[in-house]
Amino acid sequence: MATKPGKQARETKKTPIKIKINGQWHEFEPGRDIVPEMTLSYLLREKLGFTGLKVACDEGACGACTVLMDGKAVLSCMKLAAEAHGHEILTIEGLPEDDPVIRAFVAQCEPGYGTALQCGFCTPGFVMAAKGLLNENPKPTTGEIKEGLSGNICRCGCYSGIARAVLHACEENKGGKPRSFGSMHLPIGPSVRLPASTSRPKGRGKP
Amino acid sequence: MTPPRPYTPRVARKFIGAYRPRIDALEKASGKVQFVDDITLKSRFPGMLYAKVMRSPYAHARIKSIDASLAEQLPGVKAVLTCKDPEVSSLKPTSAGWTDGVDTVSYERMMWRHFRDRRVLGDRACWATDEVGAVVAAESEQIAEEALRLIKVEWEVLPFVLDPMEAMKPGAPVIHPEIAPRNILPKDAVGGSDVFVDKGDVDKGFARAEVVIEAVSVHHNATQASLDNWCCLVDWKSDKLTVMSNSYEADQTRMHISQMLGLPINKVRVISSYVGGQFGRGDTGDQPFFLFTALLSKKTGRPVKFRHSRRESFHDSRQPAIYTGKAGAKKDGTITSMYFKSIGNSGAYADHTMFALKFAPTEITEVALAHIPNVRMESYGVYTNKLPACMMRGVGNSQFNLIFGHVVDMLAEKLGMDPIDLALKNFGHEWGGLPDKSLKAVLGEGARRIGWRAKRHKPGAGPVYDRVKKRGVGFSFHPAWHAEWQEARRGEIRVRITVNPDCSVVLDAPTVETGTGSNTCNVLGCAEALGFLGIGPGDIVWPHTVDTETSLKDCVQTDSAVSYLQSEVVAHAAREVKRRLLEKAAALIKAKPEDLDIAGGRVYRKAAPAKGMTVRDIFRKGDMLPVVVEMGRPPNAEKTGVPYIANFAEVEVDTSTGRTQVLKLVVLNDCGTVMYASGAEAQQIGGQVMGLGEALTEEIIYDEATGVPLNFNWIDYKIATMADMPDIDPALLEVWRGAGEYGACGIGEGTLTCTPRAVLNAVYNAIGVRIDDIPVKPEKVLKALGKA
Repeated sequence: MATKPGKQARETKKTPIKIKINGQWHEFEPGRDIVPEMTLSYLLREKLGFTGLKVACDEGACGACTVLMDGKAVLSCMKLAAEAHGHEILTIEGLPEDDPVIRAFVAQCEPGYGTALQCGFCTPGFVMAAKGLLNENPKPTTGEIKEGLSGNICRCGCYSGIARAVLHACEENKGGKPRSFGSMHLPIGPSVRLPASTSRPKGRGKP
Repeated sequence: MTPPRPYTPRVARKFIGAYRPRIDALEKASGKVQFVDDITLKSRFPGMLYAKVMRSPYAHARIKSIDASLAEQLPGVKAVLTCKDPEVSSLKPTSAGWTDGVDTVSYERMMWRHFRDRRVLGDRACWATDEVGAVVAAESEQIAEEALRLIKVEWEVLPFVLDPMEAMKPGAPVIHPEIAPRNILPKDAVGGSDVFVDKGDVDKGFARAEVVIEAVSVHHNATQASLDNWCCLVDWKSDKLTVMSNSYEADQTRMHISQMLGLPINKVRVISSYVGGQFGRGDTGDQPFFLFTALLSKKTGRPVKFRHSRRESFHDSRQPAIYTGKAGAKKDGTITSMYFKSIGNSGAYADHTMFALKFAPTEITEVALAHIPNVRMESYGVYTNKLPACMMRGVGNSQFNLIFGHVVDMLAEKLGMDPIDLALKNFGHEWGGLPDKSLKAVLGEGARRIGWRAKRHKPGAGPVYDRVKKRGVGFSFHPAWHAEWQEARRGEIRVRITVNPDCSVVLDAPTVETGTGSNTCNVLGCAEALGFLGIGPGDIVWPHTVDTETSLKDCVQTDSAVSYLQSEVVAHAAREVKRRLLEKAAALIKAKPEDLDIAGGRVYRKAAPAKGMTVRDIFRKGDMLPVVVEMGRPPNAEKTGVPYIANFAEVEVDTSTGRTQVLKLVVLNDCGTVMYASGAEAQQIGGQVMGLGEALTEEIIYDEATGVPLNFNWIDYKIATMADMPDIDPALLEVWRGAGEYGACGIGEGTLTCTPRAVLNAVYNAIGVRIDDIPVKPEKVLKALGKA
């Protein structure tokens, strides 16, 4: 329909979308920064450069894009970016290097189980899925670990090593001794407590 | 499950053979590692465009006319190229043979020069989703996809054929008439004639046999399914082209691009960093999309990124093959004759079909059938309108093992022998007698670990659990994937060791890091070889990026060989490092180099070992120049040979639902020498995801009416997850002695070669009915049991 130039109704300024990512609030303008069909994985990777999460299938089948939302593991390729409004997102970049789960994935070399990673592509997704699992169930059995991480695919097939790593991460969680890394000279500090943002799912914090 | 036992090394070494983390474990576990899709974000390349290629909706069709004018007008579209454009149509026909399996070759020397059946962005589609017709560069992938939809194509839809047996019949649609008028790939110089093995007199051998069996086995279309989808960024500025990609062969990619686009080699730069899984996918850097992406970059003057979606990454596969086998033996179990024939479904393009069908079985003839007097093998590769088949982990071995292990199991049953006894009586390496030591070790250890004697029973006659479940055990064995004749075809393996004045080391042993663990093997091998410096693996830096402009030529990450090939050269280079350090020291200490020695980071006179000077001091007081040794050597001329691998499986079959559950897998590899124990075990355990997938769940399903593949996604193409995997017991053995300093042999590909057959034999032991084709889905079991 024809309208005279300049007579168009001015769009009301849209409410910004606010998402807390790795401890920092970000504001996005709807329509410009975030369009309705944009997935959370796209926002995090392509727009913000959080490349730890991977998009391998883009249809919720492999878990490579797993992040935490309010402490719960979610598939960021199956969430719209707009859905994250008012929520806390934690990507692997938000974890300290001496996070117990990361440490356990690094250290896994127990005879009979192989390593917990090979090509490393699925690893961030597994680490975040394991964080989510341990948030819900701090002391899972091997069976619960298998069930809890069965949404993630590792084509290199390091499932045995991953399951062991998660078991050891729980041991460390409950004040067990940090495990030795052999002599690879890895910079390993003392065991640390989980950052508050990941320790328990909190109620939705309003900015 | 019995608690795992670490293997016992034959020779105790300081670093080699260790159980320890990978060198890249921390970067990977913390998500810091950057794969090509991460490196090529738009924020890093602000001018970047995205390419999308048209895909055929038909299994077989020709483009009669194509009109891209509407697409070109779409805002955000910067370039469209079609098969009618001269820069595209003038490209030479090519194939996936830009490698002789292991090394860089030219267009003239490409492996399958008889089957140059691919046009880059051609006008003919040979399978549904073939990349044909047009390619678009736009500001976003969405715009590029929209532009593709606006391209008007008039298709001539051609009749298609999916089944190789149908494709060979007169009157079948012909897919590459100029190469294969009857769809049967011509005899070729590389793969040999159709009857490619004919030892002794097979017919006489069968006539002399007292027991003869015949078997059939059918292997299907499994796919590599690396998580890291194909991705590249090409930036062609003025006269220079730079590519970042997740191909596993940088030098070969450079040669391919240089030759196909007519650029000097030094004007093509290929950078490959971490790759998220490889498994043979896409052969070796000869992908057509590098070329059309490059042409788009040239046309627009901007960097262009091309990446596959997951659906598009169903790009190649293992060759499906129908195998028939026949074996004859005396009553005492002496095999007199063996005959194997295969019909391979090549799919739309020849790719590496003949490699799978001929090379792998040829090798087994030398290293497993050496003592069988009469052997004949013939193979036919057949074009169809299915997904093309290339290299996939243990190319050809999986298919051949499916029939080989079948024949062994059936013959043993008919003779009333234990298949282990039959195997040891007949099969072995050409270099040794019978029983073969390596084979005896893997089968003996496997039998012990699975509980063979206690659990094996007459087929179908075991105890029944829960009224409907039956259990069984089975095994299969194979020579490891490691083609010694192929290693001999590798060019030089080049490495460079730099020892800095503080004794820290940079090891340039370039190979694309795809997860195999060869990077850690390299560092452990280097630490071992430089032991005299008193350093450890943590003092060695191994650059994870291969860059054809700054790196040495990369050692192709294929053939399960990189884990020791480079270490062997490093060992030689380390001796030269020592020699130069002694020269440096001799000048400082005023002594003859031959009177000095180095150990534990200290230089001393042999006559007075207690006194000495640290190597660091030699540097500090001397010229402060690092010691740099570059060395290239062809793989060991004395052949490495091939040890054995085996897989033992215990299964439980639910006879009411037809579901097969694997309870336990034992994976045994005679490694020659274990280079890196945790990495080797990771390969053994990891291979089972693919092996078990091929055995039970993974299969590409086609719509018979249209030829369209129906399950190019990970919801319907079922890959095992953690919850699907049984207990896996990895066993590393060191029986064989390979060539060189360390004597290691490759294991990575072979870890899954025997899995499908071991599972099938176990299923037969459980239910007493044979299933000849994989995957063993419930409906096949029920049908075999007469319940469906």
